[in-house]
Amino acid sequence: MVDTPLPLEVRDLKKRFGDNEVLKGLSLQARQGDVITLIGASGSGKSTFLRCMNLLEQPNEGELIVHGEAIRFKETRHGREPADWQQVVNMRAKLSMVFQNFNLWAHMTLLENVIEAPVHVLKKPRKEAVEHGRALLDRVGLLDRADYYPAQMSGGQQQRGAIARALAMDPEVMLFDEPTSALDPELVGDVLKVMRDLAKEGRTMIVVTHEMAFAKDVSSQVMYLHQGMVEEAGPPAEVLGNPRSERLKQFLAPKH
Amino acid sequence: MIDLQGYGPRLLEGALVTIELALLSLVVAIILGLLTASAKMSRSWLLHKIGTLYTTIIRGVPDLVLMLLLFFGGQIGINMITDWLYDRFDIDIFINVNEFAAGVITIGLIFGAYMAETFRGAFMAVDNGQIEAGRAYGMSERLMFRRIRFPQMMRHALPGLSNNWMVLLKTTALVSIIGLTDMVRVAAEASKATHEPFTFLIPVAIIYLLIASVSEWIFARLQKRYNVGFGEADEWNN
Repeated sequence: MVDTPLPLEVRDLKKRFGDNEVLKGLSLQARQGDVITLIGASGSGKSTFLRCMNLLEQPNEGELIVHGEAIRFKETRHGREPADWQQVVNMRAKLSMVFQNFNLWAHMTLLENVIEAPVHVLKKPRKEAVEHGRALLDRVGLLDRADYYPAQMSGGQQQRGAIARALAMDPEVMLFDEPTSALDPELVGDVLKVMRDLAKEGRTMIVVTHEMAFAKDVSSQVMYLHQGMVEEAGPPAEVLGNPRSERLKQFLAPKH
Repeated sequence: MIDLQGYGPRLLEGALVTIELALLSLVVAIILGLLTASAKMSRSWLLHKIGTLYTTIIRGVPDLVLMLLLFFGGQIGINMITDWLYDRFDIDIFINVNEFAAGVITIGLIFGAYMAETFRGAFMAVDNGQIEAGRAYGMSERLMFRRIRFPQMMRHALPGLSNNWMVLLKTTALVSIIGLTDMVRVAAEASKATHEPFTFLIPVAIIYLLIASVSEWIFARLQKRYNVGFGEADEWNN
């Protein structure tokens, strides 16, 4: 095996909101090509965990190592903060996030959304970014929507567009924060299909989701979170097929 | 046609002064407004207090009083400094407060405070998800301001901005009091000399109206420009 650094490693991450400790020491190792799904009831901390990985939330304790580089922190009056924001900016450019509410920039067309960060953050030549962007839009089936504004598209189209925006960064790891939760049921399938294809081509992905079928079929590892702790983790066949804890059994039981 | 009795060219010069004064004051007000809005939204306790103090004072004192204070008070202040420099270091300089500069600074200062509130509200109206997306894609705060915050804030700020501009434009009439020869002052002088106030004041009113109409048109265009992407979906006819 070639000794390349892990795309993403999290060690013993803790997060408090005031006196409320929402993450109580979570660790995660994403190898190249891993698809790790985080499942759990709302309030289990799965989204917060994901948001700590690219520092949209500041963890109070723990280590974050992106492609072998540990993020440096310092203590300030406002709590722990990154010591070097430039390092954070570089790190974020390696981890693309797909949000629950898409968050495509509303004042830009779809293509402008896709090339925005490559051109202005990665400093790619515009022409190259446009070519790449159009290829990615074609891939998610939205080339004919390149000049549309987000408000002119359905939720499913917006989310596929947001995935194209994430891909345009050539990210080490893609973070998905409940990517299908805001969609109408009939639009979920298209988005999941795109995500399945990404997993198949060996993208490293960390996915917070409620889609159990997706977790079962696609992930290499499933983590079940409860009250900020990992209750069960392992391959999907084990965790989802043969849950040990009573709580997970209940969580997986068909509702109604 | 109205007979302007030879005051025509002076009236036009005055109109030019009004326009220059208004535009320059607008620039000062927008810069001050953006800075103050940032200060008020910043985590720094001191910046926040300074911003609040500034807007509270300006908004609580009549424009005319502020203008007189800054013009006369400013001159006295500068004289005190130059006197002190002379006594202490034998440096002999004399700075006369220029009426035009005083006008620009005062009006800019006054409207900077109003702009600050307009901008602050507009910045806060920008959806947080838009900012988070910028952050998540590795944008620095500066880049995010330029590419996301500012363009998205503008659609919320423009109605207030256009309102402030109209009031600012009319406030420039006050500078005739500190001796600046704007069109109101020319008209007032001409009215006194000829005893025909309407002959001069009506053209002045029309010029103000003209400037206001052109501004309305420009603001409508800007509003359209910054609303791109935010309209109703069916507006575009897919």
